[in-house]
Amino acid sequence: MNIVEARDVRFSFGETPALQGASLTATPGEILAVMGPSGSGKSTLLHCLAGILVPASGEVWFDGQRIDTLNETRRSTLRRDRFGFVFQFGQLVPELTAEENVALPLLLGGVRRAEALGKARGWLDKLGLDGLGGRRSGELSGGQAQRVALARGLVTRPTVLFADEPTGSLDSLTGEQVMELLVASAREQGTTVILVTHEPRVAAYADREVVVRDGRVSMDATVTAS
Amino acid sequence: MIRLGLRLAIAGGREAIGRLVIIAAAVALGCGLLLTTLAAFNGVNTQNARYAWMNSGVPGAESACTAQACASFTSQPAPASADPMWWTLSEDHFAGQPIARIDVAATGPDSPVPPGIPALPGPGEYYASPALGADLASTPAAQLGDRFAGRQVGTIGAVALPAPNMLIVIVGHSPDELSQAPGAVKVSRISTIEPSDCFNCEVGMRPDAMELILSVVTGALLFPVLIFIGTATRLNAARREQRFAAMRLVGATPRQVSTIATVESTLAALAGTVLGFAVFFGLRQPLAAIPFTGQPFYPSDLSLNLIDVLAVALGIPIGAAVAARLALRRVRISPLGVTRRVTPRPPRWYRLIPLLLGVGELFYWVADTPGPLHHRLMNADLGFLFPVDKPQTGTGQVAVFLPGFLVVMVGLVYAGPWLTMVGARLLARRSRRPATLIATRRLADNPQAAFRAVGGLVLGLFVTTVAMGVITTIVFNRGGHAENPAVENSMTMSIFERSARASLGTSVPADVAAALRAAPGVTGLTVVRHNPDDNPAAPPPTAPMLPGLVSCADLAKVPGYGECQPGNTVAQVMQDFSTGFAPVGRVGGPRAPTVWLPSSATAESLDRLPILSIVVATDGSSAAVEQARTILEGAYPGWIEAPTTLADSQTDFTKTLNGWEQLANVVILASLPIAGCSLAVSVVSGLAERKRPFSLLRLTGVPLRMLRRVVALESAVPLLVVAAVAMGMGLLTAQLFLRAQMEYTLRPPGYGYYLIVLVGLVASLGIIGSTLPLLERITGPETARND
Repeated sequence: MNIVEARDVRFSFGETPALQGASLTATPGEILAVMGPSGSGKSTLLHCLAGILVPASGEVWFDGQRIDTLNETRRSTLRRDRFGFVFQFGQLVPELTAEENVALPLLLGGVRRAEALGKARGWLDKLGLDGLGGRRSGELSGGQAQRVALARGLVTRPTVLFADEPTGSLDSLTGEQVMELLVASAREQGTTVILVTHEPRVAAYADREVVVRDGRVSMDATVTAS
Repeated sequence: MIRLGLRLAIAGGREAIGRLVIIAAAVALGCGLLLTTLAAFNGVNTQNARYAWMNSGVPGAESACTAQACASFTSQPAPASADPMWWTLSEDHFAGQPIARIDVAATGPDSPVPPGIPALPGPGEYYASPALGADLASTPAAQLGDRFAGRQVGTIGAVALPAPNMLIVIVGHSPDELSQAPGAVKVSRISTIEPSDCFNCEVGMRPDAMELILSVVTGALLFPVLIFIGTATRLNAARREQRFAAMRLVGATPRQVSTIATVESTLAALAGTVLGFAVFFGLRQPLAAIPFTGQPFYPSDLSLNLIDVLAVALGIPIGAAVAARLALRRVRISPLGVTRRVTPRPPRWYRLIPLLLGVGELFYWVADTPGPLHHRLMNADLGFLFPVDKPQTGTGQVAVFLPGFLVVMVGLVYAGPWLTMVGARLLARRSRRPATLIATRRLADNPQAAFRAVGGLVLGLFVTTVAMGVITTIVFNRGGHAENPAVENSMTMSIFERSARASLGTSVPADVAAALRAAPGVTGLTVVRHNPDDNPAAPPPTAPMLPGLVSCADLAKVPGYGECQPGNTVAQVMQDFSTGFAPVGRVGGPRAPTVWLPSSATAESLDRLPILSIVVATDGSSAAVEQARTILEGAYPGWIEAPTTLADSQTDFTKTLNGWEQLANVVILASLPIAGCSLAVSVVSGLAERKRPFSLLRLTGVPLRMLRRVVALESAVPLLVVAAVAMGMGLLTAQLFLRAQMEYTLRPPGYGYYLIVLVGLVASLGIIGSTLPLLERITGPETARND
């Protein structure tokens, strides 16, 4: 059974078509890499799958429920409770400490502050950020900030983690560290990961990869471990 | 969510704290000024109510209201006394200050007692206000004390004084004596009706006009503050909105984001409101000293009632909360970022319409004086197009002209972005340097934002320019246009219509004349006789007619009073020899004396005519003027109109004008720094939002000097353009008002005005300059990296 599915999804930015009938599936616990050249529509596809964008036509399903027809508040709740996100940059709230940033989805969900911060500390320790919980995003290196974002993406134990170029702003060594943590944590929790990247090295961490070209998923292949 | 919002607002780092402090400071200023204005409104009414008791002798003052109006009065009239008192109210002067003199005589033990004194003074007794008491103590009796027979038995309490420095005296008499005085009336109760509710009252104000003027002042003060608050809330708006986007990404619902934004704004507004009350108490004392009603205030009169306090204390935070929610509705905060719901369209020419309508309204009311068309057009006189009578009363004038002023004010603000855009486009076409091109293109693309930063300054300059232009012109025409010193310094005792029951007889008693001539500083004594041909009941004379006659021999004795036409023995004159409104043969100047119109009367017949006025020439010293006044008052007791100089009659008017001038100064001196703060916040905010592109430009080799020039031009161009427009519109509006209502031509304001404007503009440019070092700091290479 698929945990996430896109069926013939179409989306345009004004007159510019971004997705032209893209279809895709992901199974529970699977790590799926979405590859493609710049402007191919892979990020837009991820945003549609995550309920951030609503496609003009087609369907998006999550865990047996169609989500493209949900209203904004219900999609927000879904993102908060069932999804996690790791983007390239600009995702941490600068006014909050690393610990509070990680705890934010829990706080938004109504979890008590002490409990939320406790869980956040646990994730920071797990990702090698112990002692950095009191720092703000401006006081963290790129790799540290990305691990904080990863902790935040996983703190709610999401069913699906959406990662859009999670190592795009990092050097190769730091990028590899982040990817190893991401994959290990996801596998530990049984979280499905949908990973948008244009780097084959990053895609190599996935179980399967699809390629998006001109707004369509044009190739679907299982990654062979090298 | 509320807790998270508080956490973000209070402990969100230096940037968040800085934002909170700036917004709170802006709100505090606004709140303080709003409270001060409300207190000023209350103060005008409270001061007016303090005049009420002085109208007790006005027929009908106690029952001048309709039954419906009476029911709304806060203080009901006291029951009528069985022992009415005799009462006269007259105005006197001392050292340029008016004295309210109330003469009273009890007819029984139950006679009513005015407020501020324990009992009515008996014959030979009087009560004086504290300020008059101090003058009595420090001035020789021959110059002041001898006017009030008897001894001072007490001081009038503050409850009876409209202003702390007012000169008031309540003089006691016997009923027999006072009942014979001109204008004496029986009073059976002390009036408590506010002068604004009393149709016949002689003392006090009609506060409608004052309230409307205060409304304009309030608008002129509050508008820059509102702009400041608006600018401050936009500080780091882009980063704040990005933060909200990040929250939306991890699942915050639009409602949760809205709650957080509301909490942040409300917290700043709450802090600002609390500080605003402190600002109010700081401003109250200085405001009390500004005599914009002609008199200063008791600070306690500038108070707030419960409704004022509640309205401000609750209204501002609630307003901030609503504003925060409305502001979020203008943007769509999605998890991927922020997009504007509506792209602001470039301003169009029709933004000029309200401004033109306002000017048109003022043109409409310009008086329709006769004359050729081209002459009337040159004098801004289009009244002939719309044959409507111009208003004759002060309230009517205010009701007619203030809407015009307000529409022009609104029009300036509405047209400002269009003017900024046009100015920027014109500059862009002529620009040769890249800095000018970048700055003017940015201005032309978003003129609303550029104008917003200087909008407060525009209104401050406009209001000040109108006020200064009008006041300077009026002072020049009335106060500044002095009679010659001999006339200015003369003490005149004359009969007016109101004192028709009185008579000065046909000759000045010898002892009085001797005492006057013996007083130090008195240089002459002239008697003006009633002109029998000047009869108001008769048909209008075909030739010019003046109320007084004087023998040419007497006229020749006092230099400065003018002269007769050759061959005449008697001349027609004004009772005080003033020439301001008199038709004369020739108005006197520095080199040539006034030449008065001839009369058919003979010198011999003059002695039989009743005296119209006794004019005492002095050297202008206060001692001479006041001693002459005291002698005349002693010689002619019980006169409603006390002897006066031309300077006395101009004092009240001049004081009120001075009060308004001070208000205008307050407007510009308060609005300039506030506008400067808006400007600074706006510039810093603009820098912060563009630090990355500026940083990248620097990395590509653009010199810092050029970026500085861009920032300076972006701020200075709208500042100077709109300042010029505001001043021009202010002078035009002042000219239209003066032509319409007074038929004066605008006089350029004095150096003080230009100095204030110059200081304001230089300070504003200085503020812009002071932000430039920040440019270097925040556009370093490290800024170019992605967050």
